[in-house]
Amino acid sequence: MSERPVGRRIAGVADGGLAVGQNDMKILLIEDDREAASYLIQALDEAGHVTHHASDGETGYAMASSMDYDVLIVDRMLPRRDGLSIIESLRAESDQTPALILSALGEVDDRVTGLRAGGDDYLVKPYAFTELLARIEVLARRSSPAEAATSLAVGGLALDRLSRKVERDGENILLQPREFRLLEYLMKNAGKVVTRTMLLENVWDYHFDPQTNVIDVHMSRLRAKIDKGHANPLLHTIRGAGYMIRE
Amino acid sequence: MNRLVRLTQLWRTSTVRLTAVFILIFVVFAVLLLGLITWQSSVQLQQQQTDAIDREANQLMRLDSTKGFRATVVAVSRMSDQPGPGIYYLADPTGQMLVGNVTDLPPEVLATPGTYSFNYDRQRPFGEADEQPGQGNAVVRSERLESGLILVVGRDVVERRGYTAIIFQWFAFGVGGILLFSLIAGVLTSVRVLKRIDTITSTSRKIMTGSLSERVPVTRRNDEFDALATSLNRMLDRIEQLMQGMKEVTDNVAHDLKTPLTRLRNKAESALREGQSEAAHREALETTIAESDKLIKTFNALLLIARAEAGTPTGALTELDLSAVVADVAELYGPLAEEEGLEFETRVAENTRLNGNRELLGQALVNLIENALKYYEPVEGRIGRIVVGLRREGDRVLIEVSDNGPGIAAEDRKRVVERFVRLEKSRTEPGSGLGLSLVAAVAQMHHGTFRIEDNAPGVRAIIDLPA
Repeated sequence: MSERPVGRRIAGVADGGLAVGQNDMKILLIEDDREAASYLIQALDEAGHVTHHASDGETGYAMASSMDYDVLIVDRMLPRRDGLSIIESLRAESDQTPALILSALGEVDDRVTGLRAGGDDYLVKPYAFTELLARIEVLARRSSPAEAATSLAVGGLALDRLSRKVERDGENILLQPREFRLLEYLMKNAGKVVTRTMLLENVWDYHFDPQTNVIDVHMSRLRAKIDKGHANPLLHTIRGAGYMIRE
Repeated sequence: MNRLVRLTQLWRTSTVRLTAVFILIFVVFAVLLLGLITWQSSVQLQQQQTDAIDREANQLMRLDSTKGFRATVVAVSRMSDQPGPGIYYLADPTGQMLVGNVTDLPPEVLATPGTYSFNYDRQRPFGEADEQPGQGNAVVRSERLESGLILVVGRDVVERRGYTAIIFQWFAFGVGGILLFSLIAGVLTSVRVLKRIDTITSTSRKIMTGSLSERVPVTRRNDEFDALATSLNRMLDRIEQLMQGMKEVTDNVAHDLKTPLTRLRNKAESALREGQSEAAHREALETTIAESDKLIKTFNALLLIARAEAGTPTGALTELDLSAVVADVAELYGPLAEEEGLEFETRVAENTRLNGNRELLGQALVNLIENALKYYEPVEGRIGRIVVGLRREGDRVLIEVSDNGPGIAAEDRKRVVERFVRLEKSRTEPGSGLGLSLVAAVAQMHHGTFRIEDNAPGVRAIIDLPA
């Protein structure tokens, strides 16, 4: 239980982001709480990202539509214009910049309306910074081709999304359907940290916080299948944050 | 003044108004009926008189034609002497009176045979109660007999009018009496109703001013007021119970939120006070974050319960495959249970669909499984085992999580569902104590129930939902 991603020192921040080679993202933060904003800007800066800040909805919308960002972090309740309407307007102008919605409203229905408005991810306040960082780094990657690729490869590990076959160094690995989805999600985001909550959301489609290390058990089973008997492990545990698959 | 207020109040009661309406309807019908009866009996009496006159006239005519005028004179003379309303008159062909009990007949009666009605001078008593000397009203028939005599037979109408008047009188008397009685009865009933309503009103006022233990008195009459009072009292019991629950919750929230808050604050304070190493500072900060995370979780659980308990409009429940939900959650937790050395079995009835909230049902099942894992204690000589099941039983759908551990004592089984309750021995375990309350709230939101049964051995937690 001490393995929860929250509460740790901002992991890997000093080395520039959680991800490998994913620095220098240009981020727009639209958040009216100045204290929260300045903390986020500083933490994102330490992670190697450049952050612009807007403290109300109108300014945020103007900035988002006039400049090119890799990802938007939008608070849901903002003065002058609410976060969802900003994203809706941007999407109506076919601006597909990935957007993460921050909100104190955490019910399933709230999440659904948020995503329906065009948000790509939804994070409920209060959150751990590592969770936010992991999510925006994964989001920013959305525009890259891995999303649509039919086969994924990391090191000697290859996953075919059509035939649903997994091989490592030419050796076939048999996976349960859920393990396949788990590996697929990790490989799609290879080189980036994925948190336990992200795994639960994307692989199991549940949004609650499991109280026990339920994800870790699945990960160790998956690890046993893909890394056992190999000198260089691909599946890494990132202390205080989550997991990452990389060469 | 007070009496006037009381009277206006009485008039406002629905019983009095209802009585008044009934009386009005009654009177209208009574008057109509009275009119009808009076008219009918008057017609009847008139018919009877006419028949009697005809009968007597015919008799006398027959007598005259068979026995001659002498017999007729004798007969008319005898009839004239009898008391009663009969009018008899016999005259010779020139109109000169021979016998009879009236004197001055209008000349046309004697001139032409036929039926007449006229006023005349009454000369002798009838023996009737309302009889007045002097003017009388008569209905007569005049006939010219074979012998040439003129016969007049008739009746004094006063008698007939007297009957009608008597009927009318008694009828009016009856209506008046009923009117009076119903008025009294109406007022009495209203006063009674008002009195009982007053008791309810005054009780509710007392409750509003704060004495929540007040109850509406219930009589032994077992009438609709008692039914109302009983149901009001039940409602009050429920409200009191809820208030009591609220108070307990507030106390528990205060306890369960304040304790970690205090710990958190103490930790921060002590780290600040003692000029410690950076490692100690870091550790203090890490504890602080961990404690605040626990607080957030407790808080989230409370919000979720509040939302589930408030219920959602049924529209928010969507049709879902419960079999898939249960199978998914079981699949998520199976490896963890096995890791902890327990057997984990899933028995899911295929294709069980119902209207529900997938996220909340999933969370409820997760809570049950986590609970089973957390509180499982190995029993000597038995392999630990958790079974997650979904089955149909008639029109019910049962989600079950059972174990074969030491179980929960019967008296504790109900209590564990209550908010914040953790059995004493588990006080030291982490957790908010809200897990099972959430399960109960989710079950309730889906119009179902949550209960804990003896699995002999072990515990069986059941979410019982309507299919």
